[in-house]
Amino acid sequence: MHRILPVALLILLSACERYPDSYPPPEQRHPSEEKNAGYSMVVEMSDPGVEWRLVKDIYPPLEGVPWRWTGTQPTVRILAARTDHLKLMADFSLWPTAFKQTGAVELTFDVNGHALDKIRYTSPGDKHFERPIPPDWLMTDVESIVSIHLDKLYTAPEDGKKFGFILSRIGFVD
Amino acid sequence: MFAVAVILFAALFAAATAWSLGAVLLRKLAIKLYRVEERLLAFLVGSACLSAILFVLAALRWVHRGVLIALGVLAIGYAFSTGAYRSKGARFPPLPPVWKWAFVAAFAAFTYFYLFNALAPEVSPDGMAYHLGEVAKYSRAHGFVRITTNIYANLSQGVELIYLFAFAFGKHSAAALVHFTFLLAVTFLIVSYGRRIGHPQVGSAAAIFFYASPVIGLDGTIAYIDVALAAVVFGLFYLLQIWDQDREARLLVPIGILTGFAFAVKYTAFLAVPYALGFILWKQWRARRPWFRPALATAGLALIFIAPWLVKNWIWVENPFSPFANRLFPNPYVHVSFEEDYRRSEQTYGMTDLRQIPRQLTVKGEYVQGFYGPLFLLTPLALLALRHRAGRQLWLAAVIFGLPYYANVGARFLIPAAPFVSLALALTFVKATDLLFLLMLAHAVSCWPSVAKRYCAPSAWRLYETPVEAALRIEPEEKFLSRRSPQYNETMLINRLVPPGERVFSFGQMTDAYTSHEIIVGFQGAFNEVLRDILWTPLFSSYQSTRLLTFRFPARQLTAVRAVQTQHAKDVQWGIAELRVSSSGTELPRQPLWRLRAHPNPWDVQMAFDNTPVTRWRSWQVAAPGMFVQLDFGSSQVIDTVTLESADEGYQTKVKLEGRDAQGQWTTLSQQPVETEHPTQVNLRQGAAAELKARGIRYFIVEKTDFRSDDFQMYSALWGIKCIGTWNSSAYLYHIE
Repeated sequence: MHRILPVALLILLSACERYPDSYPPPEQRHPSEEKNAGYSMVVEMSDPGVEWRLVKDIYPPLEGVPWRWTGTQPTVRILAARTDHLKLMADFSLWPTAFKQTGAVELTFDVNGHALDKIRYTSPGDKHFERPIPPDWLMTDVESIVSIHLDKLYTAPEDGKKFGFILSRIGFVD
Repeated sequence: MFAVAVILFAALFAAATAWSLGAVLLRKLAIKLYRVEERLLAFLVGSACLSAILFVLAALRWVHRGVLIALGVLAIGYAFSTGAYRSKGARFPPLPPVWKWAFVAAFAAFTYFYLFNALAPEVSPDGMAYHLGEVAKYSRAHGFVRITTNIYANLSQGVELIYLFAFAFGKHSAAALVHFTFLLAVTFLIVSYGRRIGHPQVGSAAAIFFYASPVIGLDGTIAYIDVALAAVVFGLFYLLQIWDQDREARLLVPIGILTGFAFAVKYTAFLAVPYALGFILWKQWRARRPWFRPALATAGLALIFIAPWLVKNWIWVENPFSPFANRLFPNPYVHVSFEEDYRRSEQTYGMTDLRQIPRQLTVKGEYVQGFYGPLFLLTPLALLALRHRAGRQLWLAAVIFGLPYYANVGARFLIPAAPFVSLALALTFVKATDLLFLLMLAHAVSCWPSVAKRYCAPSAWRLYETPVEAALRIEPEEKFLSRRSPQYNETMLINRLVPPGERVFSFGQMTDAYTSHEIIVGFQGAFNEVLRDILWTPLFSSYQSTRLLTFRFPARQLTAVRAVQTQHAKDVQWGIAELRVSSSGTELPRQPLWRLRAHPNPWDVQMAFDNTPVTRWRSWQVAAPGMFVQLDFGSSQVIDTVTLESADEGYQTKVKLEGRDAQGQWTTLSQQPVETEHPTQVNLRQGAAAELKARGIRYFIVEKTDFRSDDFQMYSALWGIKCIGTWNSSAYLYHIE
């Protein structure tokens, strides 16, 4: 017994892992070099897999056209890959026939509940909107909610359906 | 049918080997027992011996079929050759015929129901995940393997080792059948106890009270261990009662063995040690007899069965009581916070009002994961059994082995106390045997699945069908498992699509017993929790290092600096994503000569110095004064600013900065950091995925019910991951590119 015990204790102790008292600095990472390749912050209405990014007031696509009709407040969700130096961009069109009924319309561009801009359009046709977004309005952990509020809707005389404008794309760009 | 024959052979072979070992031991000890007692106790004592032998074989990695066959044949052959299988014990007087046939009818009905469930492919959550998950790993490795990423591997596994014996031949169902054998053993031991105390009706009724209870039927037919534990502690009680009658010293051998084996089956049964020793000491002291030797013999034998598990943990995970007692034995494998969170959650099971427990345990069962049947609403009446000596003994054991229920309110945690409560309840009606008879029948009827479903909660965990076709493998095993377990399908997805040898991270439990891949479950170990923390950091701003503490002070020559926690937080940890040191506005580049230290959790300190916001050193316990992160420069440096980047959980904490001069004197440099908020401006997803990859994890699976599960699917490009497979659109398997 007097021989076995020390041997057993020695085996036990030798089996115990010894951790260093301190550690050197590890390999340094470079997170800012991330490319976010393959990810677009622009919601294309022509994209067949776009549905999950639409929140409300964007109608189903019509066959063969790369745009969609909207309701009064088309809203999408977009995840910002970063927060600095981004602009809200939207390509849309005000339909001349509708414009004849509504006259000039006012569009409010909204990001996460903050009104980014309010513009009164006095003529129909293709429009392009682009404005820088303050970085602190955005976050990278959850999606941003982006919407355009239209003050007047067009009512189709045939069936009474209401339409806003024609949206092609909306999102964040550099 | 061949598969069924193999399963039955494997279970019977394991049980017969255990029984033979016990029979030989009891015969050698020449203990006088009734015939049925001898057979049942031989199985329990033999199980302990078989488990201990398997521990040695597993430690040596000798768990091969050939070795097990040799062991079994040797044990069974020796028992036969020495006549140990022929009991010399007397028979109990027969039961009254009405009781006998009523018992046989109830027992047969439930046995038919249970047997097919036990024989069916193993589909229990914990059985598939870890009870057999670890067994499958040991089986592949022919013995123990060092597992540091699964807390359940650190629990004592006395019964799982017997499962390992059966698993080697008959796989999963054989293990469940071994557990079922324990259920049969304890049921008949309850009958036997009634006969021993001269109240056979009490024993029969109590046995049905126990056997028919839905949670016991469920647990005893899957590869869990609670019913086996009930059998062991009841066997221990039984032997102690016999010892109390005749003080036969040889009885202390099986008593010591079962005392230790109880702990080897489940940590919570450590109470068997004070129970058995206390019982022996008290009885000897009262009888004015020597107490030291009996107590020492019992304790010594118990220690033989307890110590191997403690030593195994001590060597492999640096904590003999892992996954508990991590404050006492700090180690890099289990966080203190895990242990504390786990304890808290097990104490409520999500119930807001613990007054629900009696109803939950008896009739509802959805929160506490099972129920015992409405009969047990009468449990308070069982206190009347205290007027009998046997009743007092039963209640003492019930209270002791019911104590762990305060730590875990799951119905399973009362199973070890259930034989005692069943007997005490039956004993209450000893003078009204007709009523007892009716209660026995009523309980059997009320627990029958088609009746129980009328009163229990729809989601209560219970057996609800007799899967004859699955049990007989007429329905293929894969089909049955696929039909019953989403996690099984997810595991099959992993088996199909992940290359062999790759580890897979998962937020929730998978079915480890059906895969050879190592599944790293997000909450089951320190390493796992770090991975989960990294994956959650891009998804939750509260995890992100948005809080900057800047300590500015007159430029000083220092050899080291340390950030010291000065605040007792209420319920948050302390963490540092990055600790940066500057001089005249320029950050000092990190040098190989620098040395980093932290307390607690020194093992993760490098994460505060790796220049990525997705990793952080965390205390992994509630922040408290004295915690620190220290940077030694290795030489004198002139510095004037130290910045700590941390998450907002730090708002409950306060930090001071200390510096060490060339003479080795520590002084406080600043107690008033400038606090600013810097929201995260970049996407952290890709960095998080890269950190997983750097830690050897290239695959992970996300279930639809996991937090923010959609994010991985919708923004896989941002994560730098690719979905390589899905099951039923409820789980997605990703590869980190």
